[in-house]
Amino acid sequence: MIRFVARKELTELVRDGRFHWTGIILALLLITALATGWQRYASYQDLQSSAQATSNTQWLKQGDKNPHSAAHYGNYAFKPAGPLSYFDSGVEAYTGTAVFMEAHKQNFALARPASDLNAVARFGDLTGAFILQVLVPLIIIFLGFTAFSGERDSGTLRQLLSMGVRRRDILWGKAIGIGAGVALIVVPCLVLGALALSLAELNTSAGFMARMSVLVSTYGAYAAIFLFLTLAVSAWAKSGRHALIALVGFWAFTAFIAPKAVTEISKAVCPTPAYGEFMADMRTMQAKGFDGVSPWRRIQEMQAELYQEYGVNSVAELPVYWPATRMQKLEELDHDVFDYHYNNLRQAYTDQRRLQDSFGVIAPILSLRSVSMAMSGTDLITHIEFMNATESYRRNMVAKMNGYLSKAAASLNDSFSSSNYMTADEEVFAIVPPFEFDQPTVGQALGEHTRNFVILTIWLAFAVTASVAAVDRLSTEAR
Amino acid sequence: MYALIISHEARSLARTSMLSVLLTVLACAIAFAAWSGRNMIDRQMQGADAAIAFEAGMRDAMRADVIKYEQKIEDEGGEVQFATINHAPGSGPPQGTNAGAVGAETAAYAVLPPTGLAALSIGQSDISLSYVPVNMRNIVDVTRYSEIENPVNLATGAFDISFVIIFLLPIFILALTYGVLSSEKEQGTLAMIMAHPISLRELMTCKLITRFMILLGVVAVAGLASTLAVGTQLDNPETWMRFGFWAGACLLYGMFWFFLAVFVNAMGKSSATNGLILAGSWLLFVVIVPTLVSIVATTLYPAPSRMDLVTASREAQTEASFQYMKALDEFYYDHLELVPNAEDKARDFLTLSIANSEAIEKEVRPLYDQFQSQLNRQEGLVQQYQYLSPAIMMQQALNEVSGTSADRYEDFMGQVFDFHKEWKDYFAVRFLSKDPLVSADYDRFPEFEYRPESLSDVIARLSPALIGLFGVMILAGVAAFVRLRSYQVAAR
Repeated sequence: MIRFVARKELTELVRDGRFHWTGIILALLLITALATGWQRYASYQDLQSSAQATSNTQWLKQGDKNPHSAAHYGNYAFKPAGPLSYFDSGVEAYTGTAVFMEAHKQNFALARPASDLNAVARFGDLTGAFILQVLVPLIIIFLGFTAFSGERDSGTLRQLLSMGVRRRDILWGKAIGIGAGVALIVVPCLVLGALALSLAELNTSAGFMARMSVLVSTYGAYAAIFLFLTLAVSAWAKSGRHALIALVGFWAFTAFIAPKAVTEISKAVCPTPAYGEFMADMRTMQAKGFDGVSPWRRIQEMQAELYQEYGVNSVAELPVYWPATRMQKLEELDHDVFDYHYNNLRQAYTDQRRLQDSFGVIAPILSLRSVSMAMSGTDLITHIEFMNATESYRRNMVAKMNGYLSKAAASLNDSFSSSNYMTADEEVFAIVPPFEFDQPTVGQALGEHTRNFVILTIWLAFAVTASVAAVDRLSTEAR
Repeated sequence: MYALIISHEARSLARTSMLSVLLTVLACAIAFAAWSGRNMIDRQMQGADAAIAFEAGMRDAMRADVIKYEQKIEDEGGEVQFATINHAPGSGPPQGTNAGAVGAETAAYAVLPPTGLAALSIGQSDISLSYVPVNMRNIVDVTRYSEIENPVNLATGAFDISFVIIFLLPIFILALTYGVLSSEKEQGTLAMIMAHPISLRELMTCKLITRFMILLGVVAVAGLASTLAVGTQLDNPETWMRFGFWAGACLLYGMFWFFLAVFVNAMGKSSATNGLILAGSWLLFVVIVPTLVSIVATTLYPAPSRMDLVTASREAQTEASFQYMKALDEFYYDHLELVPNAEDKARDFLTLSIANSEAIEKEVRPLYDQFQSQLNRQEGLVQQYQYLSPAIMMQQALNEVSGTSADRYEDFMGQVFDFHKEWKDYFAVRFLSKDPLVSADYDRFPEFEYRPESLSDVIARLSPALIGLFGVMILAGVAAFVRLRSYQVAAR
């Protein structure tokens, strides 16, 4: 029976002129979104890899100089695009694309694409993810809001029931029929996109398939939530018009109002400092010392320890180059300060995002959005991982340069002055390997999102239960 | 007659529960948006204050050292000397006497003050830093800072009053107007009204005026109230002028949606169909076209890559450093009065670095300017797409009016560059002439003073969007009222 209802529903949809138009428009938008997304992704990747290669060469060819000066010259890390960023650009326009890694300083990422985009970009990008998150639910509502009210108004509901068709069979049949209608529009576009990608011989790694399957099932669940909600409201509402108003109202709330409102609330609950405040606090702590002991005192202590260790009484006798050893110590003292401030800030950002995710309970898009970004490698966590990778690279780079200097220039201790220093060349700079960043694995990315999967599952269960309950008490007469 | 119809309309609207619900939601949304706008501005100001206080503290500490040193000289005799650069605390003259150290290690903040309406439209102000630290670094370094904010929040966008006006106000307008004729017709009251000596257009005008006054009254009052609530002083004529433009833009935008609803009504379809068509138009103009423009226009006209700018300016920097002795000669050529004897010249690390940074500046500045002009050209191209949707025009207008547009920021950055030059010149000259700073000098350091843009500049940038809005509003109005002429009052 379910099969008949489903087939009837689908046939009716496919013959409907409105279905054709919305289908064509949606397909065109989806193809445009994927094509432009792909074009951007490809050109970004080109720019990124050539910039990284240039910067790596610049590091090596910076000219003969003191290794510590070389660490000041530093290197840049350019952020690679997320593996599925052409589908969901996530927060990529709003995080920096380049990090300057230099001695003494942990820096924020620079060169945020958003600051070079026209303000119109703040409306959001028409990406594949946007279409599936915002427009597809609307299409589902549009195709399904008359599912029961329409049958009732035309009297066919009474007919159906009198034939002994079970109410729930009608529900499942309609769900399958409408679902198939939506899939008829969306799936070919996505398959086309996937085919184009596989022809381009990109992203065929195991991680890619895993990411894709999580995305497909999460978006599938999200679409099912809207499908069953629509059927529930259609069965519940007095008339088709009431159903439409209620559903579109919910849609507008979840797609546009909730994300922004929740953002403001999360900012008030977990406030984060502005740039000026952050830097002022951090630099104050740097000057005072992480534990309140001034860095210069720490250096004196360390000097005393070194004297004891090597059994000497003056800098000149030390077997390690004192200025380099001291600079490395200062560098290490800063690590605690940097970790404290940057980690607090990132923790606050993560807390904000988690709070926003929790509001997925009232607007499922919030939970879906996070999962989608994470699987596309364009979320906050990926960015934080990238920033952590640049910081460990920076620390290693500086330690290697200072370490080399402290050994190689040990003989210069007794004539320590700014005009008397050693220079190193390309061969020395090459002891720092080029920067590389591995995307977090799917497992790592998934771990962060248990809450979102739970929320979406609850929504789905709620929507199905509500639609079953609504169908069970469905009356053949308009109330 | 008009007054009678308007008051009748007002009363019948007031009795529907819909109106009170809509107005309450609208007022709450505006209040919430004002609150979040206020938070945003507060956070920014707090950031600026903390940064300025920190730098002032650094300079005060240096000044205190200098005063102590001066005291010591006075007590023990001798001459105030110029410190060499040395970070380890020692007994010689303090770093605060060295203009090079003071100019390079402390920064003066150039602050872009928010306009009176800044809280109404966050615009780009959550991305660009409105307090720029200026020291002796080169121009690319000075422009690299940006405000920090959770990227997730930036991607979602702020719930500011602009959002309420651009996104939500049309929904409320359409909800009040989608059945303005069709529902009267469906209830059979339209034919009865038309039996009175009034034309359909006159009736429509009255209906529009009523709805208009209710909604825009709420917007204007709530807008003004939130402007006041966020602590804006209205004693400033510029703020009034900006508020006037803000209200004007809201008026044009609101009228466009009203006329669009009338136009759709005039096609003579049922209320349900009108509702669908209007909801579709909202989706098209407010959601699809802007996001489509954003992705298509920026794919067709991509902004120049900052990653390229980074590597190119680094290349220039490296080049310049390779030839540092040449750079130094050139530098002294520009500052002939400062040439020391040859040995000092080569030894002086800071002189070198100043010469070096000036050489870098010379190499990097053209790259930066080229980047900026490319960026402006791209902006100009994308700007043309604004006419595709009143929502985009409205956004540009509101950002401009609130002083949170990219253009106002660019003007500010121009002033920052001038100040940067002034700062560098002051300290470089004092340093190179080895003229020790005395404590009194600390009050004479260059300070940034923001020169507000002339109102005509603001209006010039505002006008394309406003004229565009006016155009589409007139277009919708004329189309609606022409269409009304052939409207069938009763079902055939």
